[in-house]
Formats: sequence, C-alpha cells, structure tokens
Amino acid sequence: MTAELSIRLQTYLAPKLAAPDLIVSDLARIPGGASRETYRFRARYAKDGKPVERALILRRDPVASLIETDRTTEFRAYGAFHKLGLPVPEPVALELNMAALERPFFVMEEIVDCSVGSIIAPDPYGEHREKIGQQFWSVLGRIAKPNPDDIGLGDFGGTRDTATCWSHELARWEKVIDEDESEPQPIARAAIRWLKRNPPPPAQKISVVHGDYRTGNFLFDARGDIRAILDWEMAHLGDPLEDLAWALDPLWSHGDPTHPAGAIARDRAIAIWEEASGLRAELRALAWWETFASLKGLAIWISAAREYAEGRNTEAVNAFSGWYCLAFHNKVLADRLGGAP
Amino acid sequence: MKPEVDQILGLSAGQLMTGVIPLLPNSYSQGSTALLSFLMLFCAQEYERGAEIRVADNADMRSTFGALAHLVGDAKLKSRLDEAAASADSSLLISALDKNNAHLRGLLIELHAQLEAQDGDAARAGEKRIWEVLKASATRRLLKSPAG
Repeated sequence: MTAELSIRLQTYLAPKLAAPDLIVSDLARIPGGASRETYRFRARYAKDGKPVERALILRRDPVASLIETDRTTEFRAYGAFHKLGLPVPEPVALELNMAALERPFFVMEEIVDCSVGSIIAPDPYGEHREKIGQQFWSVLGRIAKPNPDDIGLGDFGGTRDTATCWSHELARWEKVIDEDESEPQPIARAAIRWLKRNPPPPAQKISVVHGDYRTGNFLFDARGDIRAILDWEMAHLGDPLEDLAWALDPLWSHGDPTHPAGAIARDRAIAIWEEASGLRAELRALAWWETFASLKGLAIWISAAREYAEGRNTEAVNAFSGWYCLAFHNKVLADRLGGAP
Repeated sequence: MKPEVDQILGLSAGQLMTGVIPLLPNSYSQGSTALLSFLMLFCAQEYERGAEIRVADNADMRSTFGALAHLVGDAKLKSRLDEAAASADSSLLISALDKNNAHLRGLLIELHAQLEAQDGDAARAGEKRIWEVLKASATRRLLKSPAG
C-alpha cells in the first residue's frame, strides 16, 4: 500500500516542486492522532544542479475523522506561525482535490531527531523538565499575542466577539455531545448547565486559539528545545484563555496537577504565559475556561467512543480516548463541580 | 477459573509490550500495538470490577430517586422516578446492567436539571446528593493508568 502511495505522491509533488526528477522514498506511517493519517518520507531531487534531500510529512484525511476538522485551517496556521518564527514546521503543499491521493492532504517539513511526550508517561521530559516548561508556556503566550488579521488568519472560524466567544465554543461542543453520545452523560450535561449559568467575563481580546495545545502535540530535541508545535487542526478565533486552560488540564499533568503539562509549577506557568502574551489570566475567567476545557475533552472522547463502537474508525486511540480519557474527565468535572472529596 | 481472565489479559499485554513491539517495523505499528496492550490492561481491570460498579451505580441512583422524587413538581417525572426507585437489576449480564444504567442516568439528568431550577434548601440538598452519586460513579469508573 505504501509503495502505491509513494508513486502517487511522487507524481503529485514533482510538478508542485518544479522537480521532474523527484523521487519519494522511505514512506512510513507514524503516529499522528486520530483525525489525520500521518506519514514521513524523503523527497530527493536536483535543484540548480545540486542534489536536494528533504524530510517531509504527509497528513492525509482519514476515511472517517474523529472530529471533523479543516485541513486548510491547519495548513494556513502552520504557514502563519512559521513565518512569525515560532517553532512550527514549514508547510509545503495543500491539496483538496481527491484525484491525487483519494482524500485531501497536505505536505509539510519534518522536524527530525525529536521526541514527543506521551500523556501517560510519568516524567516525559526528564532532565529538561524546567527548560521545556518555560518554552511551552512562553510559546503559548506568543501564539495568543498577534492580532489574527495581522497574520492573515482573521477569517478563521470561531467568533470575533469578545462577549460571546465563550457561548460560541460551548454551543459548538454541546452540539458534538448531542450528536455523538451513545448513552446519557449526566456529568457532561451538568457541566454544560453550570457553564451556561456562570458565564465568564468577556475576553480581553480575540486571538488565534490553537485548540489542542498540550503534551503530546509538540516535539522537543535532545537539548530540551521545543522544535515544533503540531496539530493545529482545531485552530479558531476565540478567547486566548481557552488555550491556556486546555494546556493546564489535569489530563496532561502526568499525575501532578500542580505541575501542568508535566513541567513547571502552575503559578510560574501562568506567569510566563502572561508575560509572553501581554494578557492577564484572571482567576474567575480562567476557572470557567478550565471547566470548559474538561467538558470539551469529554465531547471529544464521547465522539471517539462512538466512532469506535460503530466501527467507523477502529484505531486503538479511539478506544483509549473513549474509555480512559472519558473516565478521567468525568472524574475531574465531578470533583470540580460537586466539590472535591 | 484458574488462570483468571484478568491475569491472562495482563500477562498477554506484557508479552505484547516486551516480546512483540520491539520487533515491529515502524513507530506507527509500535505505537498502535502499545495502545492495544493498554486496552488489554483496561479490560483486565474491567473484568474484575465490571458488574460491581454497574450494580453500585444503579443502586445509588435508585435510592436517590426514592429519596428525592417527592421534591419534583412534575407529576409525570415523579411517577417515572418512583417507578425507577422500585426497580431492580434482574440480571448481572453487563449488557443488561448497562441498559438499566442508561435508563437511570437519563432520569438522573432530568432530576438534576429540575432541582437546579427549583428554589429552597431541600432542592440544594438534593443537588448535593446527586453530586455525591456522580462523584462516586466517576471514582468507581476511573481506570488505572498503564504507566502506574
């Protein structure tokens, strides 16, 4: 199967990169989440008489996706933040036509010789915990800083209304639960009612929200430098506190919520984000967005469970998310809203 | 039964992790197989506790309906709560317990929303009781991380 895919990819890329002698080799599938099939490969060709070898990534739509996401959004986000100098891979080509590889896809630079932290690893960063933690929260602040119009992303989905971005996002994820729940979810429903009864203050500004900024979605190298922020497929316009709260969520805290993302202490993490973004993480607003983050998690896991149970996408990650992560976030929300024991 | 099902699943997951995954050709198949072994460990946990947590959930919800139905003004909902409070799990098959659990959870959502909309100390105490049921259920259903 990968041999055929290699040939088709080669046929597509040769004219795109103006390299008629281009050869695709070493194509291999790698882990990349449930919403895209991800492959690494090498492209070899001559440019100005000199041999070029590029390490590239193919991200192709799967037959069925966990959460319907727009590959154009992801591709454009990579481009905009790469240009800003953030650690983001350079996008190479986007193809929405089905003819080339049967499904839409895009190609981007591969960031090589890096690791990704597993969400279940007790200590994913080892000796680089401090250094990675500082960068992790600082980069998130830098994502929140630019005006979306200034980086060409002002037409992204979401809302530009600071007063209603909370209700816009809540409605989005409530709809996912309405459509995908296979059984009644009393904790999710109680959380939705609580979030509606206790709205947060208006957003300080509208930013590009990454949408899934967390452990497992960035690459770091052997020196402890963050080299790539990945998985921008849920990027949208909204309250930057949405991203901060998602990154602070206990599911990514490696068993210690006082050190979110498995890195530095929570207070320092928030202070670094505030300095980098120029924004304030006001307590009440952040608390609302943290509750929302766990509810959004539930919505995603409920979808994963259904995809798996109905046989549309039986990747093991969907069973894992729909069981382990769902149970985890039910516990987080029950303790948060019902009073911790 | 010896060996127990959870032991078989646990040992098989361990053999996958140590004996099979290192032989696989790429990081995708290694990662996917590691996840499959984690799922086997979850199944091992669920084998031991599956019936117990469902029976406990269902019993908690029935007793809560029995205690709180009188607070509900909606006669139809009250009648459904009374009926559910008097019901029982007649089979310990997981599928039968899940079917009852889904029915009871649906009623719990209605009761919870109803009490939230009502004034008074009794409604607040009722809400508190429902949260205790939800917290106990969420705690029971939590899975141990394969990483410990």
